[in-house]
Amino acid sequence: MTRAEAFSEREVAMCTVARLVEDGRTYWAAGGGTPLYSVLLGKKLYAQGAQYVTEDGVIAPEPLLPFEPMMTMVASRAVHRALAWGTMNSAGIHAQLGYMDYGVLNTLQVDQHGNINSTFLGEYGGTGRRFGGPGGADTIAACCWRTILITDQDKRKFVREVDFVSSPGYLDGTPGARERAGLPRDTGPWRVVTPWAMYDYAPRRLRLMARVPWVSTEEILAECEWKPLVADEVAVLEPPTAEELEILRTELDVRGQTTDAAGSWITWDGEKYVRQA
Amino acid sequence: MTIAERSAGQIEVLAEGTAAFHPVDPDGFRAYVRDNKNRALEPRLMTAREAVDRFVADGDYLTYECNYLMRGPNEVVHEIIRQEKRRLWIAGKFTYVDVALLVDSGCASRVDCGFFLSAPSIERAIKERRLEVFEYSNVIMTLRLQAGAMGVPFLPVRSFGGTTGFDHSGAKLIADPYTGNPITIVPALNPDVALIHVHQADIYGNSRVFGTGISDVESALASRKVIVSAEEIVDTEEIRRNPGATSIPYYAVDAVVHSPFGSYPGTCPGYYGSDPEGVFEVFRAVMGDGVRAYLDKWVTPFETFAEMLEQRVGREKLDAMRAREVVKEGYSA
Repeated sequence: MTRAEAFSEREVAMCTVARLVEDGRTYWAAGGGTPLYSVLLGKKLYAQGAQYVTEDGVIAPEPLLPFEPMMTMVASRAVHRALAWGTMNSAGIHAQLGYMDYGVLNTLQVDQHGNINSTFLGEYGGTGRRFGGPGGADTIAACCWRTILITDQDKRKFVREVDFVSSPGYLDGTPGARERAGLPRDTGPWRVVTPWAMYDYAPRRLRLMARVPWVSTEEILAECEWKPLVADEVAVLEPPTAEELEILRTELDVRGQTTDAAGSWITWDGEKYVRQA
Repeated sequence: MTIAERSAGQIEVLAEGTAAFHPVDPDGFRAYVRDNKNRALEPRLMTAREAVDRFVADGDYLTYECNYLMRGPNEVVHEIIRQEKRRLWIAGKFTYVDVALLVDSGCASRVDCGFFLSAPSIERAIKERRLEVFEYSNVIMTLRLQAGAMGVPFLPVRSFGGTTGFDHSGAKLIADPYTGNPITIVPALNPDVALIHVHQADIYGNSRVFGTGISDVESALASRKVIVSAEEIVDTEEIRRNPGATSIPYYAVDAVVHSPFGSYPGTCPGYYGSDPEGVFEVFRAVMGDGVRAYLDKWVTPFETFAEMLEQRVGREKLDAMRAREVVKEGYSA
């Protein structure tokens, strides 16, 4: 592993998720962007035996990279050399049956119980802002055994209660809330990953479990409108490696759209990593 | 006590959404099939103009398969905009720019949301009450179509419960009469009309879709009127040579439109890649509140989609799109 000289914040989040990818497990990666690239990166470097599906029902493709712009599903390069081609219902039903170990999602807003908002900011029906809706994320969050959520570390994104539950976390956080809503038993949010931190649930409530070396726990908590629990020992995440970044930049996100090349960067100053605000 | 009253008392409804939903009427659908769907093996090849004129009515509930960027029925969508259909209710699943095109053109006034690209013009239409949105998810929408395609009134589903979308939908949470556990049920969706772009069809409507898809078969079977647009019209002998490759049987189809490059500027997998410039242009138009200008450039000046392709896109670019589509495995029968 080679030390990386510089990387973007979103690259950090994708590399962190890539290291969670396990051999022999199935991943339902939402849409395009960070979830799919994280899983592909994990498959390439750490867990070649991990398999993934997307919303169009493709099973275990070997995509011809890079994708054309906005063509991460249905397009021939995206579904290339799959083991099976299906439909949205086949993907949804396989998840209902329990075949999907992990769902990987991104979102606008998450709350203390892992509920996800991708529909509306503000009071629904009022003057707030409309977004695209859950897409496939509701089924992913409901039916995969474990859900990994990717989002930015931003005060407005970590709230006590989301304005609109587009996709379910632990709902009101009480034991059995998901089951009472008709969702499959023993499922739910597992990790939240941001460019600064990783969170788990203790139990059913968001808990900061790890941080990147260049940001303090206090700085992370300052970017949470509602404060999560904090683990007794907050682990320190390994920074992205040059190998990971090489793959992200030259094979996956060759146009720099998802890696957010225009966003904040972290650089090595000879002794430590420093975040360029 | 009628059977309906008795069974209503036995199934306990624990919670329910309060939104309007397209009426559920399985026997009405069967009667429609009996009285209107042509079971004779008779040609139904026609132009997009004739198909839309005959089979899309103001006020219809419309579903289209895939979307404007990926094997979308774009020729037929353009024709709907050209013919100024009104008050359409859209199944907004797995869709990006299409909803904005149909709303800004004045065609659509309701949408069931799974996912669509939200945009300034959509927000304005909602605020000005020109657009009503009902909340679902992509898979819930395709499962509703699955129920519609099975001829049953609803389907139990393992997702959607506990969401805010549930409250703004036609879903219900009931005590499952078999296990006693709570289970969400969603109303069957039987659209008035479906638009499906396929790789191959014969003149009767027997259709082949290659590659992945969203709910081509479900939409075809669930909808009263079905317009198939096809990249290629093939001989029925070719269909009979490999019956396992038939995705949609002829009797579900009302109109077959020969529509080469019918998904432009999107891709038709295996046949041609997208036109990235065209994709960015429509994306920018939607996000930048420029849909009217987009339609004035790409839709309304032309009599037909073919005329637009010839004059606005040109043979050279179409050939390049075909040449760029290098993956062929799996895209033939």
